[in-house]
Amino acid sequence: MLRYAVERLIQAIIAIFGVLTIVFVVMHLSGDPTLLLVPQDASAEMIAQLRSQLGFDRPIWVQYLEYLGGLAHFDFGISVVQRVPAFDIVVSRLPYTTMLAAGALVVAIGMGIPAGIVMATRRGGWLERLLTAIVVTGQSVPTFLSGIVLIFVFGVTLRWLPTSGSGDFASLIMPSIALGAISMSTFARMTRISIIDELGKDYVRAGRARGLSLGSVVFRHVLRNAAIPVITIAALEIGNLLAGAVIVETVFAWPGIGQLAIQSIQSRDFLVVQVIVLLISFVYVLTSVIADFVYALVDPRIRLVR
Amino acid sequence: MSAKFASVAAMLLALIASTALAQTKDTLTIDLPNDAATLDPHLQWNTDSYSIYRNIFDNLLTRDVKGEIVPQIAKSWKYLDDKTIEFQIRDDVTFQDGTKLTAEDVAFSINRIIDPKLKSPQLSQFDQIAKAEAVSPTVVKMTTKSPYPALLAQLVKLSIVPKAYVEKVGDQEFNLKPLGSGPYKMANWQKGVQTELEAYSSYWRAKPPFQKVVFRTVPDVSTRIADLKTGKADLVRDVPPDQAESIKNDANSQVLSVPTERIGYLFINAQGGVTKDVRVRQAIAYAIDRQALVEALLEGYGKPVEVLGAEPVFGYTDKVKGYEYNLDKAKELVKAAGAEGATVEFLTSPAYSRATVEAIQQMVNEAGLKVEISSSDQATFLKRRQGDPANAGGLAFGAWSCACQDVDGVIFPLFRTGSIWAKYSNPKFDEAVDKARVILDKNERLKLYEQAYQVIKDDVPGLGLYQAYALYGANKKLKWQPTANEAMFVMDMSWQQ
Amino acid sequence: MSTAVLALRQRLRRVPLSVIVVSIIFLVIVLLAIFAPWVAPADPNRQNLLGRLKPPGFEMRGITYWLGTDDLGRDLLSRTLYGAGVSLSVAVLSVVVSSLVGVTLGMIAGWFRGKIEILIMRLVDIMMSIPAILLAVLTVAVLGPGFLKLVLVLGLTRWPRYTRVAYAQTLQVANLPFIKASELAGAGAARILFHHILPNIAGPVLIVATAEFGLMILMEAGLSFLGLGIQPPASSWGSIMSVGRQYIERAWWIVAFPGVCLFLLVFSVNVLGDWLRDQLDPRSRSR
Repeated sequence: MLRYAVERLIQAIIAIFGVLTIVFVVMHLSGDPTLLLVPQDASAEMIAQLRSQLGFDRPIWVQYLEYLGGLAHFDFGISVVQRVPAFDIVVSRLPYTTMLAAGALVVAIGMGIPAGIVMATRRGGWLERLLTAIVVTGQSVPTFLSGIVLIFVFGVTLRWLPTSGSGDFASLIMPSIALGAISMSTFARMTRISIIDELGKDYVRAGRARGLSLGSVVFRHVLRNAAIPVITIAALEIGNLLAGAVIVETVFAWPGIGQLAIQSIQSRDFLVVQVIVLLISFVYVLTSVIADFVYALVDPRIRLVR
Repeated sequence: MSAKFASVAAMLLALIASTALAQTKDTLTIDLPNDAATLDPHLQWNTDSYSIYRNIFDNLLTRDVKGEIVPQIAKSWKYLDDKTIEFQIRDDVTFQDGTKLTAEDVAFSINRIIDPKLKSPQLSQFDQIAKAEAVSPTVVKMTTKSPYPALLAQLVKLSIVPKAYVEKVGDQEFNLKPLGSGPYKMANWQKGVQTELEAYSSYWRAKPPFQKVVFRTVPDVSTRIADLKTGKADLVRDVPPDQAESIKNDANSQVLSVPTERIGYLFINAQGGVTKDVRVRQAIAYAIDRQALVEALLEGYGKPVEVLGAEPVFGYTDKVKGYEYNLDKAKELVKAAGAEGATVEFLTSPAYSRATVEAIQQMVNEAGLKVEISSSDQATFLKRRQGDPANAGGLAFGAWSCACQDVDGVIFPLFRTGSIWAKYSNPKFDEAVDKARVILDKNERLKLYEQAYQVIKDDVPGLGLYQAYALYGANKKLKWQPTANEAMFVMDMSWQQ
Repeated sequence: MSTAVLALRQRLRRVPLSVIVVSIIFLVIVLLAIFAPWVAPADPNRQNLLGRLKPPGFEMRGITYWLGTDDLGRDLLSRTLYGAGVSLSVAVLSVVVSSLVGVTLGMIAGWFRGKIEILIMRLVDIMMSIPAILLAVLTVAVLGPGFLKLVLVLGLTRWPRYTRVAYAQTLQVANLPFIKASELAGAGAARILFHHILPNIAGPVLIVATAEFGLMILMEAGLSFLGLGIQPPASSWGSIMSVGRQYIERAWWIVAFPGVCLFLLVFSVNVLGDWLRDQLDPRSRSR
């Protein structure tokens, strides 16, 4: 167990290192921020001068080594766009992202898993059809559209919820729904399939043969066993949520990491992007390690291989 | 007894005062598309940043509603010779920490922004200035490298920062906690969320109109409009003409608009691809129906122009006529150039109106060319557009404003040989704009710019399409006259019950 | 193999009505997409600046715009029809690219184990921990825009999902007796992987693929929203909707029709995918 954990940790560090390298290279291939920083009437010499002041005229490997050198003592550098430490910029957005991800997960799991259970146990019924339609809607409406529809219906027309902002709980509701909708479908489908898989197994037949009702079999045994694939998905969905957050946060003016990420890529604010990527891959690795251990807890038969 | 009476009276007074206060607007909320990148006014010069920090700082000079350059921190100025200018500085101005603003601060501000060590992205706008020195507590002497007629127009954009404070806290801290002599002082900057400013009660010009101003960051325009309609915001920026109607239909909202110095223009590459042939470029000019663009896509919030310039800009001329819309002539020219069916790449980015780009594409296609749109993000767009002419695309749409109301800031960077934007070179044009740059006589300059415009008309390295209007959505109670340079000074706003 | 086909055929006789309906919807969409140039009443790129944002049924100069017009006065029906082809081919091609790459790597990792397994699975970790849309935005910035590049970007950012599933399934299947038997009988790795393992892991892969199919259309839409999707004047359902969202109060029809089409498509693909998977998976036949 301990050896496994250590091995896993080393591999995780290598993975994060790989992510940083890939993003660093791709970012630098896509240009640098100088042209976006200078006023439009700058001369070519001025641009060259600023570029060299900012250090972007050096070979990429020199910049990379310098970056790694900084990382070695936890220096993430200063954003060339905002002239503030990149790490501080990202950290200030973290609470918002955490709130939104939590809200979206509550929507996704709270609606997705019950929907999946019903869809699996009431196969062929009208309720399944209805739920399928709802789930598919969540999966087929782009968030930039669902977001603005929510804003106009509940914000402008009904005036129930604030149209944008991040100050209070009320303003969290609509972004969570818009963001959670896609993951909700994933949870519903995954739950449905896992339960159907389990229902076909011998122990269920045996239980049913002993006269147990479908409901009690499902709730006593099936759910526990069906949980494993769902946990896997939950871990993966956190990554998906962060990606979806890019657009949802833009629409709802929610000041999270997603919005920051897209703006920083667009403004070629390399160091901020690097911190974000570092953070996301860290969270990703962490959740997938946790998911592995949760498997082991839920089902001790599972050997820890990976 | 009398004490009791006094306290009752005081309570009554307080009550009256508080109801009177309730009637005035306490907090003004403004939705901007982005957060300020920096609030140190000597770093970033982008609309979102300066919309905020120009309320914290005063400028050396400013423009009045008519667009004339008028005094602000400088009381008056006079040229000692072609390259030396002397400013009289007001002596009744204090910074928000109570210290007095002197000529030292003005000289420091100028020398700071031109100091390469600051790595200011704005350096190129002030690089004609050699140095500034405080001659006395109220006099600053400034020297330019050569005679520089656009100097005053550039100085309108120069914020005055407090020397002692900046030197005490350092550049990095100053960016986070800016302090100026303007009507509003920094209260709280939640990066990426909002910036709160508070009125500076001893501001030298007048009492600021609102106790608090909040600038919120709302990237999506549809959301900004929703905020306006629900009263979450009192003023929103960057409203597309298409959305104006929906704001007008709202009982509590109004559209504020003003013709600006911003020009919608079409760049045509004169040094690469099929547009190298001047006949093809002229054909494109004939193919574009400027009137239709303005009427349909801008819904009237714009005005077709004949040259690449607009009335509020010094050097604008109505003597040079543009190309009329004439599809037959366009087709003829394309045929004459043997360019029928030739591919022209149209570079663009999400920063430019997609509908306008598509409409232009269709118009040019009708002349017999094959236009292909290539949309990438702004950084990539700039890299190509400003790079090697062979790779800079055939066409690009842009909306140009130098916020300096001088043609020198428009056609010089766009078409002067060697400029990053120019994919064009004509000695006749260069001579005219170079000369106009270093003489101070206004009539002489006007004549030179007229010549330059004529050369551009013949060569068509670019084409003025329309004068853009700035559009703001505002609460009906907000009184504000927006200006041609798209500045956003809260001091000029007021609230009417 | 042939017995499996026979069994499948037998099962197809008991196709539920919903699956038949859904197959018809799917087929109609595919046919409309293919035959758009013949079916569409107008040139999808033909602008009419005097007839912008007009409601369904609007008539002008003898042309009837059945679904109304967009912000440049183009016929929305024709654009939706042509958009079907773009959306479908982006989704199909990127799913094909990503599943080919992903499943192959997953099977290799699961079958050979050892160093190659660690290498592939860590690469999966790397790819999965960068949000796909960010990676896509970055890659579009480097490669430039365009239809094929878009497919490539989507395909190459999404393969790890297939790899994970294929890998896990291969691990399970590899120990089944009949595989062991054919390995002992001297079958080569390629033969075992593609003839024995692939058919046995197809069910779970299909689930991922059907989910990804809808997601790919949405990803393209998201890139269109950010201005980096399909290049105008060509349109996909996603790009029509990303334009139409700003006119939602004034011209609801712009988002409504591509939206309904997208719903029908994703719905039919999901139902079909679920049903196919149920058929492929012998365990789940019971109700």
